[in-house]
Amino acid sequence: MAVISSTQYQSATGDRASWLVDVLLLLFMAALVFGVVQFGRQWLVPATPLEHQSLEIDLSPWALPVYSLKSLARGFLAYGLSLSFTLLYGSVAAKRPRAERVMIPILDILQGIPVLGFLPGLVLGLVAIFPNSNVGLELACIIMIFTGQAWNMTYSFYGSVRSVPVDLREVARLHNFGVLKTFKTLEAPYSMIGLVMNSMVSMAGGWFFLTTTEAFRLGDRDFRLPGIGSYMSEAIDKGDRMAQAYAVLAMALMIVATDWLIWRPLSVWSERFKSEEVAGEREESFVLSILMRSRLLMQFGEWRRRRQSARREKPSALAPADQTSQVRKRTSAPAWEHSLPLLGWLATSAFGGLAIWGGIKLTQLIWELTLNDWLKVLISLCMTFLRTTTAVLLGALWTVPAGIIIGRSRRLSRKLSPVVQVIASFPAPMLFPLVTMAMLWLGVDFAFGCTVLMLVGSQWYILFNVIAGAQSIPGDLRELARMYGVTGWPLWRTLYLPAIFPALVTGLVTAAGGAWNASIVAEFVHYRDQTLIAPGLGSLITKSTEDANFPLLCAGVLTMSLALVVINRVLWKRLYALAGSRFMLTGKS
Amino acid sequence: MTIKIIEPFSETGSRADLIAEARNISKTYAEESGGARMALQDVSLAISPNEVVCILGPSGCGKSTLLRILVGLIQPSAGTVFSHGRQLHGIHPGASLVFQNFALFPWLTVEDNVRVGLHGRGLSRSEESDLIATTLEKVGLGGVDRAFPKELSGGMKQRVGLARALVGKPELLCLDEPFSALDVMTAEALRSEVYRLWSEGKSGLSSVLLITHLIEEAVFLSDRIVIMDANPGRVRAVVSNDLGHPREYRSREFQDFVDHIHDILTAVHLPDVPVEPRIPHAAVAERITPIPAVTLGQITGMMEILHDHGDEMDLFDLNEFVSNELGQTLTVVKGGELLGLIETPGDLVKLTPEGKHFLQASVAERNDLLASRMKGLGIFRMVLQMLDSAPEGSLEDEEVVAAVAAHLPREPAKQLSDTVCDWGRTVELFDYDAVREVWSKKTLE
Repeated sequence: MAVISSTQYQSATGDRASWLVDVLLLLFMAALVFGVVQFGRQWLVPATPLEHQSLEIDLSPWALPVYSLKSLARGFLAYGLSLSFTLLYGSVAAKRPRAERVMIPILDILQGIPVLGFLPGLVLGLVAIFPNSNVGLELACIIMIFTGQAWNMTYSFYGSVRSVPVDLREVARLHNFGVLKTFKTLEAPYSMIGLVMNSMVSMAGGWFFLTTTEAFRLGDRDFRLPGIGSYMSEAIDKGDRMAQAYAVLAMALMIVATDWLIWRPLSVWSERFKSEEVAGEREESFVLSILMRSRLLMQFGEWRRRRQSARREKPSALAPADQTSQVRKRTSAPAWEHSLPLLGWLATSAFGGLAIWGGIKLTQLIWELTLNDWLKVLISLCMTFLRTTTAVLLGALWTVPAGIIIGRSRRLSRKLSPVVQVIASFPAPMLFPLVTMAMLWLGVDFAFGCTVLMLVGSQWYILFNVIAGAQSIPGDLRELARMYGVTGWPLWRTLYLPAIFPALVTGLVTAAGGAWNASIVAEFVHYRDQTLIAPGLGSLITKSTEDANFPLLCAGVLTMSLALVVINRVLWKRLYALAGSRFMLTGKS
Repeated sequence: MTIKIIEPFSETGSRADLIAEARNISKTYAEESGGARMALQDVSLAISPNEVVCILGPSGCGKSTLLRILVGLIQPSAGTVFSHGRQLHGIHPGASLVFQNFALFPWLTVEDNVRVGLHGRGLSRSEESDLIATTLEKVGLGGVDRAFPKELSGGMKQRVGLARALVGKPELLCLDEPFSALDVMTAEALRSEVYRLWSEGKSGLSSVLLITHLIEEAVFLSDRIVIMDANPGRVRAVVSNDLGHPREYRSREFQDFVDHIHDILTAVHLPDVPVEPRIPHAAVAERITPIPAVTLGQITGMMEILHDHGDEMDLFDLNEFVSNELGQTLTVVKGGELLGLIETPGDLVKLTPEGKHFLQASVAERNDLLASRMKGLGIFRMVLQMLDSAPEGSLEDEEVVAAVAAHLPREPAKQLSDTVCDWGRTVELFDYDAVREVWSKKTLE
């Protein structure tokens, strides 16, 4: 499927515009190549063992673009990993019912696990494997980002593959499409829209883990990587206000740029895969229209097409152009695809073996803990639970009304939605030290201030979802309310609040997840020369990492994961079921 | 001109001759909430060369399933499928399929959609393009090879489907209700088109298998009509069509043949057998029979229509009046019969005295009448008994569905229980709470 068809997009405004675009494209490619090479060089830098090194970070604003690009590169590498995982895992889960019964619950659990809890362990482990270069750190960073990006993309892809219309699947089977061809012609296009949307969300979520990992320090050991996260943390350490401002600006710019240059054009391009026949509002992307004018791309498309037809222009065994000759019978799917089930089994058993081995080692480790230790863990759990719940509820208190007010006005939502999107994508941990400073200055006890930290990171998800929910309240219901003069509190009680309930649940779940994840970096903060600790599970995890108390660390992470899984089952699943059965706006569920 | 009814499956001739053959095919689907649905029961069908076969029947009679089994898309639960005398493994190499809802890839051009039909044949690009261009010309789509499906009308989309099916030069062209998603005039044009393509006899097309629920379509196109029944899906009769070509809808012979098919269909679907007798007491062992999945509103509506037409109508006139698929009309009629409001002597559908009284009655009287009728049906009595003996007079939805599945293992239990619930609630036989999914006894006021 060529993006461009040369006959369709002849530039009417003359060649000058398209040449300009071509030049820009070439420059961009050159920059990309250079960046990749530089990045690769950094990985192989044989530095002095990291234990004794402290990362030098240049705080001048001219160094910032390089740092930003490095962060960007990490983000995209992780995205590539997430995408591959999505396609593989999602395909298998969607097509093999037996595997599905195991794979989807696993995905469920993975989604609920507090990823940041594994950061210390992951970093230490990988650094131990690669002591002499940055490879270990970079890998740790990319894996952390991956765990923040992959799950919702996988869910979306899995859902799309499962909802491919039966008819089209039958066409594919009727003509003996192999696995690869079915994917290329049927499943990939069908799931493209959902994938692009979820990629946007995933990239946004990835910034959180990216900046946190880049700024990671453990006690007096410096595990930071050159990037925008470490730039910010250094700027805060040195109290350099200008640098902090630049960092925030750069981060915001990066978010807006990736959205505008990459995701929006992709999203508009993927509109072609919409299977509905309704002529809806066509979104426009300035960047995409510019790219369409590029002659380079057009010629590239032509060249590819010619190569393809030349490749298949082999002399055929049939008598040419003979109408009555029998077209040769269909061949079955390519041979290598028959070995796929075997590969699947190997992968599963390898994975299963690893999981069992890991489980045994874990139990051995935890066995060393005393009852006292476990008590400490449980109490910490309760504290953090209280904090996260408070944070989410406080957030909901103002975001629900605000979201409804914004969402129900088309004007307001059109202006404010993108802004909220950017704010929600902004990685809160980057701002934590600033918020802490404000709290200290106000004299707020850190145990409370910590809740505010969690709030800062998570409330935007609620706002974002409530806005979306309010936008989709059908006009019918609103007209009805106006006709019968229903206003004020009764209007909110009977229309707005029930209508946004499903969206609210989604927002709450995301916000709670964010708050729990944030607790690991929010409850234990190094600010200048102070260490602020709020008693809770997050600080327990971080502190036990610093003290190298691995049994306690494992117990902490395990407990948090279990707690989240239980909350998911007991609370979120019920809320979703309630939303689905009573509050859906669209007909029978 | 004789009209003979052939008992199913009396083909002679060597098996290698037959393009496709299904012997004693059964297909059962397990329902999620218990029970099973027997889509096909012991069906046998053979397709010989050079013939047009139509499978005629109401929706749900398994004709699509049978088609897909013959072509190799679905595996039967029992029985064997042959292709030219050999057992079929995988997809039938000489068959192609045209779908009811076109099944085109929305993101591929017309040309690429047709190209799908040539997949895996090892042709070079230019050979493919030639074949595609010729086939598109043949179906009348010469100029739109670069268009996308969303730019085309329904008729043109189906032509693309046809082109895709024909480009690979199949020997058996299968069509699954190919014109039902089109308006009457376009359907007419395409019907003649398909006939022309087959009768020209070029490009190796030998036989056509068409699934339809339209009697006139079957009479127009077929050499043999296979009449199927639903629940479970079975072949009830095979009729040979010896009308000469060209066939005209308005000719005497054509209309006679259509009438005869009407008769066969009524005999098949609405046999003149007494409806379930009313058993006033539960002393005798319950005979629980399924009830059709229709609403009381539909039954009432149909009764009003009958009343407007003098309290009785020919079944097929009624069907045409409501512009429904025959199967749907039959289901509503059966529902009315079960409630004693309608009777079906021969080809007619007419109101019973109770039915006439019903139409004059007030809403409350109607509900009472219906309620007392329902209490005479086994399945309702079972539910009411369960409610009586349940703690606090309430039952979970799943319990009811399980009980229905236990008594009627061959029926879709959830659908049945939903219909029972719908009927019962409307006449206030019991209550249902949709949020908690609980059935409860009607409290006396």
